[in-house]
Amino acid sequence: MMPELGDTVKVIAKDGVYEGILMPRPEILEKGYTVIKLDNGYNVGIEDSKIEKIELIGKHKKPEAVKYKKVEIKKNLPTVSILSFGGTISSKIDYKTGGVYADYTAEDFIQMLPELENVANLRAEKVMGIMSEDLAPEDWQLMAKRIAKELNDDEVSGVVVTQGTDTLHFSTAAMSFFLKNLNKPVVFTAAQRSIDRGSSDAFFNLLCAVNAAAKFDGAAVVTCMHGTSDDHYCILNRGTKVRKMHTSRRDAFRPINELPLAKIDESGKIEILNNNYAKRNECKVAVNDKFESKTALVYVYPGIDADIFDIYIKKKYKGIVIAGTGLGHIPTFNPKHSLIKKIKELAENGIPVVISPQAIYGRVHPYVYTNLRKLSMELSCIFAEDMLPEVAYIKLGWALGHASKPEEIKKMMLTNYAGEITERSDEKSFLY
Amino acid sequence: MELNYPGLGLKCGLEIHQQLEGKKLFCNCPTLNSDKEADIKVERKLKAVAGERGEIDIAAQHEVLKNKKFIYEGNSEDVCLIETDEEPPHELNKNSLETVLKVALLLNAKIIDEIQVMRKTVIDGSNVSGFQRTALIAMDGFIDTPQGKVSIPTICLEEEAAQKLENRKDFVRYRLDRLGIPLIEIATGTEIKNPEHAKEVAAHIGMVLRSVEGIKRGLGTIRQDVNISITDGARTEIKGFQDLRSIPKVIEYEVKRQSDSIEKGKKLSKEVRKAEQDFTTSFLRPMPGAHRLYPETDVLPVNINKKHLEELKKKLPKLLSHKTEEFEKKYNLPNHLAKEIMANENFETLVKKFSKLEPLTIASILVNLPKEIKTRFNLDSSKLTENDFEEVLSYLNEGKLAKEAVLELLIKKVKNEKIDLTHFESVSDEDLENDIRKIISEKPNLNIGAYMGLVMAKHRGKVEGKKIMDILKKYMG
Repeated sequence: MMPELGDTVKVIAKDGVYEGILMPRPEILEKGYTVIKLDNGYNVGIEDSKIEKIELIGKHKKPEAVKYKKVEIKKNLPTVSILSFGGTISSKIDYKTGGVYADYTAEDFIQMLPELENVANLRAEKVMGIMSEDLAPEDWQLMAKRIAKELNDDEVSGVVVTQGTDTLHFSTAAMSFFLKNLNKPVVFTAAQRSIDRGSSDAFFNLLCAVNAAAKFDGAAVVTCMHGTSDDHYCILNRGTKVRKMHTSRRDAFRPINELPLAKIDESGKIEILNNNYAKRNECKVAVNDKFESKTALVYVYPGIDADIFDIYIKKKYKGIVIAGTGLGHIPTFNPKHSLIKKIKELAENGIPVVISPQAIYGRVHPYVYTNLRKLSMELSCIFAEDMLPEVAYIKLGWALGHASKPEEIKKMMLTNYAGEITERSDEKSFLY
Repeated sequence: MELNYPGLGLKCGLEIHQQLEGKKLFCNCPTLNSDKEADIKVERKLKAVAGERGEIDIAAQHEVLKNKKFIYEGNSEDVCLIETDEEPPHELNKNSLETVLKVALLLNAKIIDEIQVMRKTVIDGSNVSGFQRTALIAMDGFIDTPQGKVSIPTICLEEEAAQKLENRKDFVRYRLDRLGIPLIEIATGTEIKNPEHAKEVAAHIGMVLRSVEGIKRGLGTIRQDVNISITDGARTEIKGFQDLRSIPKVIEYEVKRQSDSIEKGKKLSKEVRKAEQDFTTSFLRPMPGAHRLYPETDVLPVNINKKHLEELKKKLPKLLSHKTEEFEKKYNLPNHLAKEIMANENFETLVKKFSKLEPLTIASILVNLPKEIKTRFNLDSSKLTENDFEEVLSYLNEGKLAKEAVLELLIKKVKNEKIDLTHFESVSDEDLENDIRKIISEKPNLNIGAYMGLVMAKHRGKVEGKKIMDILKKYMG
């Protein structure tokens, strides 16, 4: 019988005998090695060319399934729903690719974090299990419907959503626009370190997030992630004013152009930092989740070729967000690189162009420089105030899903629906 | 009375940990082990995480139940986001791998074809990530000792842990600068016959390590752990030996402790103990269960190139033990100088190149003068380059310089001062003799010491004192 992965084997090679468990090897690696887990726990790769024989010693025994204790409902505790959409927070190792993949369900979180039992009665559902870079507008639509269902359940005090970090701020922006008449907190949380390690930030983030869903007095879509590199507190950032600002740090999610709404620690202690948010209420949540998928986000850079916009015209795109330099510039005067002619063409084709800041922090301005006036006054580009480029993209797709006339789109883009536009530029919010 | 170790069923093995020079194992931080004031401070907690099979290992739980907070401090000159577990590891340090491959070959071990980096679950907080990255590099090595062959089942390359500064009920404070320094772990088999043998084995492995370039030297850069058990006793791991000489006594006392307990009918448990100054041991913690190891998926496995390995085998460094004797005989050097000069890889080339000079002269210039410059003149002799030494030796070889002037010249080099050779030009024997005659005739009836002083004042650094004395004696009868 041919040994299979997980079996105990004896590998007889030209230079000796290796005994251990036959392990999978990531498929993307160079071929030609067999990996064995030795008795001492170490994996070693043995060159196939020197292997004479692999003998089966013992078949792999499936470990007994862990029995989960049934969680009792405590009458004095609020109820929180956890909806899981995958990501590092629910990942463990995929031996095939060597990377991490989404697997754990929300129930597993409860087992891993018994402290949750004393915070809230939990309802958990794994809605999907994908990495966040694979999340698409149709997933946000499903997400909105599932969240609304929980929010409209009187028993539920708040909703926690877990997903991958990469596009967390896209999801929170989408939910901020998709969920109308929000009545309770919708708390998004995630992890930068996978949950198989003792140092994972998942535990702390989840504990804070469940506390926030149970106790935070806002009716808002927020992120709940580490405020600093320490396990001291998480910050609740408005879903439209937050961005992943570091590839790997725990405290990667920073508020942009405003202060966080609040700090929260694992005991559930909340400190309000920015009281400018809607409070919990009795409204019934509606889902306005139409989204125009032919919406694009284009990053402008010196030397950009104006012709790249042709594909958007040809493919009948309905709207484009441009992440402009500085106050919202695009190349204008050098005829070789000017985008002006192309923007005019987009306007003639009825494609609205929204200008947002690639500087991330700060506000775009339509009048400071001549080039800006050209864009705003001649070409009627929409200057999206201090909206993040990603938020402007989500909002434009959502606006195009619900309206079509350019003036309607412009009006929607400049209307503040979910705190995406700040009226005052907070002096203390830069690099918070 | 000597204990009957075979009769007691002594099983004894060593684990040697040796730090490496260069950069850290998975990032580009230098391995300074900085002691500058901490400018990085992070507080974390660790959770016991279930293994693939849903179980949490006993030792891990033991640590977690203490519910401790971990405070990490470090200086940013040698701590980056990788130590604070805020960035995934970079690839395995190639230079460290090269060093451990040489060590493994010198220990007659079989190199693994494809190195797999693992995560070893460590939950005492000494690794911020909650695990130590470690890789098995070679297996089935051995050393020959006068008391017999001792096997080396495993040689690993791993990350050094953070250094514990303070251990309190509710928190442990660690220093991060040491975390991530490359560490070779060499484990011996249990063929060690008696306490004295354990010391010999440790010394032998230490000698092999020091034969290879890229090994850190100095306090705390090598650590020996001893594993001991006797029949009906329990396995004890002893850590924290101050130096090799204490190993036999500590083992003897531990064996006595175990056999006394057995006699009294006490049941011993597996534990980790600390070697104390008085050679006794004290309880540190229960022996951790088998560490859970799982793949470090952020680092790709490393294939060992066979051709490269063959080349390494061809130019393996000579073992120090062979070299000392060889050097003593071949170059007629005293033992202590032979030992030190072996660390200098240029010595033999220099001896060949400057054939008019005695090897002893070259060796003492390379070894003793830098020390003298440092201790006597309080100057940083580490500024001297190979080129500086070579330049000075070439003047000496060509007779442009007296031996006495070398020190002064090197000091000028350290101070970055201009060298004017005419100032050091040696005087021919004839000129010297004429000069001495002249001095004696100008100032007659002085004692020999006074003349010596006068001649030296004129020719300091250009002529050997002995030569002056010889000439003076000749004229003063």
